[in-house]
Amino acid sequence: MTARAVGWPVLAVVLALALTALLILAAGKNPLLAYAALARGALGSWDRFGVGLNKATPYVLTGVGVALCFRAKVINIGGEGQIALGGLAATWMALTFPQAPPVALPLLALAAGAVAGAGWAALAAIIRLHRHVHEVLVTLLMNFVGVLIVSEALQGSLGEPGAGFPQSPLIPPAAWLPRLPGSDLHVGILVAVVVVVAGHALLWHAPFGFRLRVLGASVPAATYAGISEPRTLLGVMSLAGALAGLAGGVEVLGVHYRLIEGFSTGFGFNAVAIALLGALNPIAVLPAGLFFGFLETGALAMQRAIGVPSSLVSVIQGLTMVLILAAMGLAARRSRA
Amino acid sequence: MDSVAEILAAAIRIATPLLFAALGGILSERAGVFAVGLEGMMLAGAFAGVIATHAFGHAGFGLLASAVGGALLAAVVALVTVRFCADQMVTGLAVNILALGLTSFLLRGLFGHGAAPTIRVTPLAPMPIPALGDVPFLGPLLFRQPALTYVGLALVVALLVLLHRTRAGLTLRAVGEHPTAAFAAGADPVRVRTLAVTAGGALAGIGGAVLSLQQVGTFTDGMTNGRGYLALAAIIVGRWSPAGALVACLLFGATDALQLRIQGLRLPVSSYVIQMLPYVVSLAVLAGLGRGARLPAAIGTPFVR
Repeated sequence: MTARAVGWPVLAVVLALALTALLILAAGKNPLLAYAALARGALGSWDRFGVGLNKATPYVLTGVGVALCFRAKVINIGGEGQIALGGLAATWMALTFPQAPPVALPLLALAAGAVAGAGWAALAAIIRLHRHVHEVLVTLLMNFVGVLIVSEALQGSLGEPGAGFPQSPLIPPAAWLPRLPGSDLHVGILVAVVVVVAGHALLWHAPFGFRLRVLGASVPAATYAGISEPRTLLGVMSLAGALAGLAGGVEVLGVHYRLIEGFSTGFGFNAVAIALLGALNPIAVLPAGLFFGFLETGALAMQRAIGVPSSLVSVIQGLTMVLILAAMGLAARRSRA
Repeated sequence: MDSVAEILAAAIRIATPLLFAALGGILSERAGVFAVGLEGMMLAGAFAGVIATHAFGHAGFGLLASAVGGALLAAVVALVTVRFCADQMVTGLAVNILALGLTSFLLRGLFGHGAAPTIRVTPLAPMPIPALGDVPFLGPLLFRQPALTYVGLALVVALLVLLHRTRAGLTLRAVGEHPTAAFAAGADPVRVRTLAVTAGGALAGIGGAVLSLQQVGTFTDGMTNGRGYLALAAIIVGRWSPAGALVACLLFGATDALQLRIQGLRLPVSSYVIQMLPYVVSLAVLAGLGRGARLPAAIGTPFVR
């Protein structure tokens, strides 16, 4: 099972890259040169490598949460809003308590981000449980509200007066995540690795993970086994929300050092793609997230070097997702028939 | 009075692309397939419309191309969700990402030699209806709109008739409510759903063309800017009925028109709070109705023979 589970996402990526190569050909460029420029741009220097790792960090953090949700057949696509509110809460904490002890401040800010993300996701879970509305619709709609709450905050009390752009003032340097000296790489990727390992342990070696998997396999079976659907759903949604909120906080404290409108655009949906690419295995979410991160940094370099538009990345991401979904659907249909 | 008429006219204008997309989404969802891909289908339509109008020099070709563009993307959704039984919501997200990348890439790669070109086309002009257009207040509001707005309104009626007064509509609804029973009665749910999703995509594509050809006159990256999701919300608020969706689209259009004018009106809330309204109202409708929200019963579940 595992060999196949790892096999088809890789096959999907290869197929997506091949299809995209046809597009590059149609645009009158050499796809091999384009992909070479992309790889050079992503991995060609320690600097670029570090930027790619930074880029992958929020994807991996959010992706692990999405993978856990999908394992329980809880289709949480609310990462977008959860990340945004996580960033908002982390910024607020860092700006409100600048006198906190240096090490405590980033930790407090990250915790605030996680709590905000968890709260937003829990609210979606509660609407789902008490009003019987499909979580997909609730989380999708709440994304827009969450992102607009950030805009509203930047318009009001949290905004930087006279900045000319919806952004907060810089947060105090004491709250910044430590960086590898001489590079942009911050410690976020280490946090992501810890989360990946913890997610793996939780899913395969903890009672909660077992409950997730049983619930995902069959709700009646879970109920028969005494597993509470509402509690499990609320638990996994809150956990995924906390990870997404953490990702938002990491993005603020490690990359921008301030809250910027639209800082998380597309992150939540990319995390869904990454969870699928990782075949819903927390461990495999790490390479999937890195692949997306490097793809994005590499594409910008490719555009500069040989003029192939960087929007190619979205084509590769979208195609990969469609192909994996088709394969997953077919596999599920076979097992049902 | 004038400013009220102005806001209402703007509301109708803003509602038109939403309406096309929402009607397309209703076709898809009443047949049992979630229409999360509306955003991407609109974007594909907006793009194809501008390119074809520019290439062939006539907006008629543009409209045709926009329908084809939306339908092509919808055909991908239909293939993956209906034939291969993939998750409908996530597939919708995937094609939205795909459409965003593909339109942006093609615009630069094929027409701009790597840079983003601006392809200008003449926006479709308003088409006043003689006599009716001169009626005070209502005239400018309802009868001096561009042609596609009339088409959108006519489509609401057409879709109502199709869904509730024809055999095809009955089959479509049956497939969305209980595909196994529809299958036993001789319908082919896979075929019906494929057709409904593809036709819905064509409508959403035209919705995109309303935006690019009738309102803006060019194509820019991601120009639908969430309107597909807003159309999805309009379907929910309109409770899966074409007339309901029309009301919801007009409501959203009015909020948006109001939001654009809010600085002048000095209301005690910011424009962002008003922008939240469509989503909050949708959530409230869903939560308020709970199980009574009456989603098509088989929506989201694949049909396997």
